[in-house]
Amino acid sequence: MTPHPLVTVKKTDFDAAVAIATKGTHCGMCRIDFLGTGLCPSGKKHGYLAYWPQGRMELIKHLADGTIQPTEALIEIAESCSLCGLCDKQCNFATQLRPEKVAQAIKDYVATLDTKDFLKIPKDAIVTGLQKIVGEKWATNDPVIIASYVRSIIAPNVPLDFYVVMPETTEQVSQIVQFANTNNLPFLPRSGGTALSVASPTVLANATNLEHGIIIDLLRMKKLEIHTESSTAVVGAGVTSFELQKEAYKHHLRANVAEAGAHVCANIATTGIVTTWGNSYGCFADNFIDLQLVDNDGVIKTHHDLEISNPYAVDNGFANISLSPPYILTETTVKLYPIFDDEEAVMVPFDNVEDALDAVIELGRRGVGLSLAVLSYKYLAEFICPTRQIATDFEDVCKNYLKLRYVLDVVCKKEDKKIVEDLLGYTIDESMLRTLILGSPKLASLKNSEFMKILSEETDPLRAIFAGPMKKHLEQGLEATPANIAKVYDEDLQDFFKKIYAKPEFTDVVWLHAFRILPSRLMRQRMAMGPGGAIWAGDKAHILKWIKMFSDVGDKHRLEHALGFISPLDNGKFIYIEYDYFYDHNNPEAAGRISKTLLETTEQSLVLGGIFTLINYLFKGIYRKEHVLYPLPKGLTVEEDTMFKDVLHSLLGDF
Amino acid sequence: MVKFLSDEWIEYGKEYIRRNLDPARDLGNLTTSVHGVIEHVPPTDSTTTFYLELQNGQLSDFILRVGATIPEKTPVFVITGTYGAYRDIFEGKVGTAMAILKNRIKLKGSKVEALKIIKQLDGLIDALRKVTDEFEEGPFPS
Repeated sequence: MTPHPLVTVKKTDFDAAVAIATKGTHCGMCRIDFLGTGLCPSGKKHGYLAYWPQGRMELIKHLADGTIQPTEALIEIAESCSLCGLCDKQCNFATQLRPEKVAQAIKDYVATLDTKDFLKIPKDAIVTGLQKIVGEKWATNDPVIIASYVRSIIAPNVPLDFYVVMPETTEQVSQIVQFANTNNLPFLPRSGGTALSVASPTVLANATNLEHGIIIDLLRMKKLEIHTESSTAVVGAGVTSFELQKEAYKHHLRANVAEAGAHVCANIATTGIVTTWGNSYGCFADNFIDLQLVDNDGVIKTHHDLEISNPYAVDNGFANISLSPPYILTETTVKLYPIFDDEEAVMVPFDNVEDALDAVIELGRRGVGLSLAVLSYKYLAEFICPTRQIATDFEDVCKNYLKLRYVLDVVCKKEDKKIVEDLLGYTIDESMLRTLILGSPKLASLKNSEFMKILSEETDPLRAIFAGPMKKHLEQGLEATPANIAKVYDEDLQDFFKKIYAKPEFTDVVWLHAFRILPSRLMRQRMAMGPGGAIWAGDKAHILKWIKMFSDVGDKHRLEHALGFISPLDNGKFIYIEYDYFYDHNNPEAAGRISKTLLETTEQSLVLGGIFTLINYLFKGIYRKEHVLYPLPKGLTVEEDTMFKDVLHSLLGDF
Repeated sequence: MVKFLSDEWIEYGKEYIRRNLDPARDLGNLTTSVHGVIEHVPPTDSTTTFYLELQNGQLSDFILRVGATIPEKTPVFVITGTYGAYRDIFEGKVGTAMAILKNRIKLKGSKVEALKIIKQLDGLIDALRKVTDEFEEGPFPS
C-alpha cells in the first residue's frame, strides 16, 4: 500500500481520534435515541456495528495498529457518515467523548488512499450460505466490519476469523444455527454487547466471548407491540430497554427494564432483569408471560407450547455454571405495569451502611416503594454529575463534608412517601433532587470551601442541609439552572445541553429511574461489577460480612471500590447487592488486578454460603425465581472449594 | 500424527496414553467412562461415537464406532458436540471445561462429577491432541 502524502499531514488528527477511541466505553448509548435527537443515520441504515459511532471508535484502533487493512467496506463506512454531530451530543452526555472526530479522521484517512489500496474481500461459501438466509446485505466476512465487534463479543488480540450475520426473524436465527452446526462453526448471539465489553479487558474475555465463528447480531429484530388490553408488550431481540420503556410510557404503562442500552430479551436471558423495581415488579420469570427461543440445534421453541417439559425449573448449584446462553431468546412477551399519577421520588441520606440496610429491608418487607434501593455516594455522584471530574469532587463533598455515604432511594406513591417520612424522619424531596442534578457542578466546586467546612462541623450535617435551616441557602446557592449546568460542556454544545436540561424528564427522578439513561456514566471510569447477587435479608451480620469481603478484596488489590446498590426482592425476603470496582481499562496491569478481584470475590462468596452469587444465576434468567433463588446454597466445603479452583484454572489458566 | 477419528487415531491414542500418562500422577487412579458423540462429521455429515474407559487410572478401552451410540457400552458420561466443537478442543482452541460451560458440547451425567475429574480429563485430551493434527476442513454443503 502506498501511503498518500496527506497521511502525514492528517496524522495528528488521526492520532487524536485514536486517543478518543481508546477511551471509548462500548456503552452503546449511540444506538438509542435517548436525547430525542434521532439516531445516527448511518448506523440506522446499515446496521453493522462498524456504521455506528461505537464501532467506528473500535475499528480506527485496528486501522492504527495495522491489525486490519482498508477494505471496500471502509469506503462505505466513511462515506455513510454525514458528520451530523448527533454522536457527539449523545456520547458527551454519557462519557464526554467526541466520536465525530473519529468519523472525520476515518474520512480523511480514506481520502488519502488510492482505489487499489482497498482490499476486495472475496465471499466464501459460508458468507454465501448466510446471505441466502438473510439477504446479501446482512452477512459479511469483511475484516473491517468484523473488527468493530472486538471488545464486545470478540476478545482483543485474537485472529479475526469471524462472520457477522444480522437476522430479522426467529426463523432466520433458526436457519443460521442449523447452518453453523452443519458447517461446524461456533456461534454466539450479540445484543447490546455491554456485558461482554465489561469482561473484555479481564481474564473473563475468553470465557465469555466467541473464539471464532459466526456472530449473530440481533439488532434488526425490532418487533415491538404494546397490548394495552393485557398490559403486555411483545418485544423482539433487537429492542432495547429504552425503546420498550418509551413505547410503554406512551400508553401510561411501565416496563421493568435494565439499563437503557441493554436489549430486553438478552437481559432476561442473562440475569433475569434484576432492578430496583424488582421487589414490586418481580424478577426472573416474573418478567414475562411467553418466550420464543432457538435452541443450540436450531429448533424453535415457545413457552406456550403445552407439550414441552417444565421450562421454568433449573438447578442453581454452582456446578451448573453457564458462560454462554444455552439458547437464543428471539422474542418475549413482557408484563407492563400501571403508572400512578401521585408517584414521587424521595431519598433519605445515611452516613453508614448498617442504618441504610435496616431501612431498605424494613421498607421492602412492608412493600413500600415501586422502586426501592440503597445507593452509595459513588452511584449518586456518577449518575447525576455531567463530567467525571465533577463526579470526583461531588464524591469528595458527599464523603468528607456532608457525611453522605448512602442514600435510600424510593420511587413511591403518596401514601408510601408518608410511611418513609414517618419511619425515617425526613426525606430529600423531588425539588431538592432537581436542584442537586442541575446544581451538581456548583456543589462539587464547594469542595474545600468555608461553607462546607462549617457544614461538616454540624452534629448532623445531613439533617442540617436537607431538612434544617441550611436547606434554603443550599437551594439558592447552587444556582441550579439548565444554563448553568450546560456551561460544563464544550462551548459548541452548551446551547444544546441547555435545551436538554430544560426538558422536564432530564430532572424528573421518576423518569430517570424508569428509563435508566444515567448508569452509562459509570463507564466513564471503567466499572467492573463484582459477582454480586442475592442474599437472605434476615441475617444482617451475614450481609455485612459479604459487603466487607468485597471491600477487603478491593483494598487488597489496590482498586477504587464502592457499594453499587442494595435492593430488596421477593417481598423483602432477599436483598440483591451489587458491588463495583473501578479501574483504567486500558491499563493491563490494572485489568490483571480486576481479574484477580473478580475471581477471588466469586470464590469467597461461594465459600461464605447463603448467597446466590452471579455464577449461580448467570444465564438462568428465564427460570422461576423460586427455582433460581431457592434453596440458598450452603458454603463450599474444602473439597468443593479445591474443585472450584481446579475448574477455574482449567478454564482460565494461571491468573 | 494421524487423522482425527481414524482407526490410527485410536491406536496411536491408546499407545500414547499408556506410555506417557501415569495412572496415579496424571489420571488420579480414576475409574470412569465416556461416550464422545460427534455430530456433523464431514464430509458426509454423519455421526461418530468413541468410547473411552479408565480403570484405576489405566486405559482399559478406547473404541470408535459410526452412529450416535455404542449400545454394548454404558458410560458414566455422554459428551455430545459437533465435529467443529470437538475439533476446537483437540486443536487446543478451547478447553473441555470451557466447551461444556459455553454450551459448545452437551454433557449427560453429573456436572459436579464431571468437574471433579476435569484435571484428569484435560490430561487425556492433551494426550490425544499430541497424536492428532489432521482434521476435515470446511465449509461443507448444507
